[in-house]
Amino acid sequence: MTVPRLFKNGIAVTGLVIIVLYVLIIIVSFFWLPFDPSEMNSQRLLEAPSFTSGHLFGTDEFGRDILSRIMKGTTVSLVISIAATALGASFGILMGIWAGYLGGRWDNGIMRIADVLFSFPSLLLAIFVMAILGENTYNVIIAIGIVYIPQFARISRGSIIALKSNEFVRAARSNGAGRTYILFRHLLPNSMAPIIVQISLSLSVAILLESALSFLGLGVQPPEPSWGNMLSSARKVMMLAPWTAIYPGLAIVTLVLGFNLLGDGLRDILDPRLRNVR
Amino acid sequence: MNNETILQVQGLMTEFRTERGIVNAVNDVSFSLERGKTLGIVGESGSGKSVTNLSILKLIQYPPGRITAGQVIFKGENMFEWSEEEIRTVRGKHISMIFQDPLTSLNPVIKVWYQIAEALRLHHGMSKKEAKAKSIELLKLIGIPDAEQRADNYPHQFSGGMRQRVMIAMALSCDPEILIADEPTTALDVTIQAQILELIKNLSREKSTSVIMITHDLGVVADMCDSVCVMYAGRIVERAAIDDLFYAPQHPYTRGLLDSIPRIDRAGGSRLHTISGAPPNLIDIPPGCPFQPRCEKAMNICSKQSPPEFIINGDASRTAACWLHAKEYNNG
Repeated sequence: MTVPRLFKNGIAVTGLVIIVLYVLIIIVSFFWLPFDPSEMNSQRLLEAPSFTSGHLFGTDEFGRDILSRIMKGTTVSLVISIAATALGASFGILMGIWAGYLGGRWDNGIMRIADVLFSFPSLLLAIFVMAILGENTYNVIIAIGIVYIPQFARISRGSIIALKSNEFVRAARSNGAGRTYILFRHLLPNSMAPIIVQISLSLSVAILLESALSFLGLGVQPPEPSWGNMLSSARKVMMLAPWTAIYPGLAIVTLVLGFNLLGDGLRDILDPRLRNVR
Repeated sequence: MNNETILQVQGLMTEFRTERGIVNAVNDVSFSLERGKTLGIVGESGSGKSVTNLSILKLIQYPPGRITAGQVIFKGENMFEWSEEEIRTVRGKHISMIFQDPLTSLNPVIKVWYQIAEALRLHHGMSKKEAKAKSIELLKLIGIPDAEQRADNYPHQFSGGMRQRVMIAMALSCDPEILIADEPTTALDVTIQAQILELIKNLSREKSTSVIMITHDLGVVADMCDSVCVMYAGRIVERAAIDDLFYAPQHPYTRGLLDSIPRIDRAGGSRLHTISGAPPNLIDIPPGCPFQPRCEKAMNICSKQSPPEFIINGDASRTAACWLHAKEYNNG
């Protein structure tokens, strides 16, 4: 029933359309780009956007085509955000559901680790991890993933605790089900709603974190384009050639908006308390 | 009929540790169940009926609950000496349970057939296809129309009565030897109650399943059971064959319960009898008989010493835990 309801929710559909658009851009970018994103052209430095030159979004300080670089950067941003969320979600959920289900000493131990991670602001923690691991694309995924672990752990722990006293758990035990079976077959499917919403919102924050890390020079390293390092290099020439900053910025804003809208929409759909408000 | 004892509970004690003290929910309970027979366990809320039966399968959550003493002998083996894994092979396969509330006892996000087939998959390693076929068969058996389509439904698409039927199908899927029904009809309306009880009766007779029927409804007991244990404050106060209980109750508490049933054949206008007072707090049970403060026939000894179970008329299956039946007090 959830899928048709998703399409009735305007907010979620808007978000979904934006995300699908970006996915299409990625697919196109594998086969065709307007220009080679790393080809420099000293004759065409900081050219304003125009149809005649073919540089629809203009060129940067090395004469590289900004549209091509944004398209190439979309892959980097989206892949990092999805991989980091997957990493953080899988570890976080595993920790959280076992903590919530076992309770007692286990719960205490696991959640105190999560609390330690939680006590740092996300970006600071990500910078810290990057500083230890070194600057490259894979480490960005690990850094953002680590930032996400405590968030997913908390959410899944909470919903497992709320669910585990349900009568159906006892019924499953009386059927001869073991701990792992009950946890993964009975409890986890019931706690998916808040986790799905969290995944969607985490995808958007991951884009921001990745951009921030790349902007600070800790993330994706030039010449490989990413939205964050494009903004970083645009900083120096922003006043002269505003398009160097505006277009990568717009790309970030719209994709983040897309994930946030989808997340908000999903929350409205999946939260039974809000179901009949509209 | 052979009187083979299939399950024997001896000296069962279960306690719960709470902030206000230790609650002795089950206090030295013993009973036995014969193959193919139905045993009723009656008592008011909080008398320890459910905890007794959860203890049999060790389904008491360790903090706060704990089984402190006793034996559960199933087919000659003491299950309390078994490991959790060994007990798991009995749960749902040899001994299964039906719970009180069919609304919360089914998982809302799992399809009905899958829940019915759960025990089959866990104990017999059936493939999905086989398990589904078997669940459809079971759905037909319990009288769900359009079983093929209904198997793919989720629990919220079923009515309360149908859900309780599904619970029964779940419990009977592996042809257990013992079925523990924990107030299976309390959450249902009266017409559905009758259907559910009939279903349990027929299915258990067909497969000669032994049933432990936990209830607070003496009507259900009269309808279903061969023998009865009456529980009060975590103890069995009276045990009897079904007719003896209704025609010749021996414990003042049982008598009080029977008198509290509205009777259609009694002259109108008289007030309904009630047992005054409330069940004792199980945290600090006073010495003596737990029923003594509410008992109309309380004697001196009742507040001093807890009565043992006295055998009545020389029949070991007929007992009452009341000082009235001790030789020195029993002079008519």
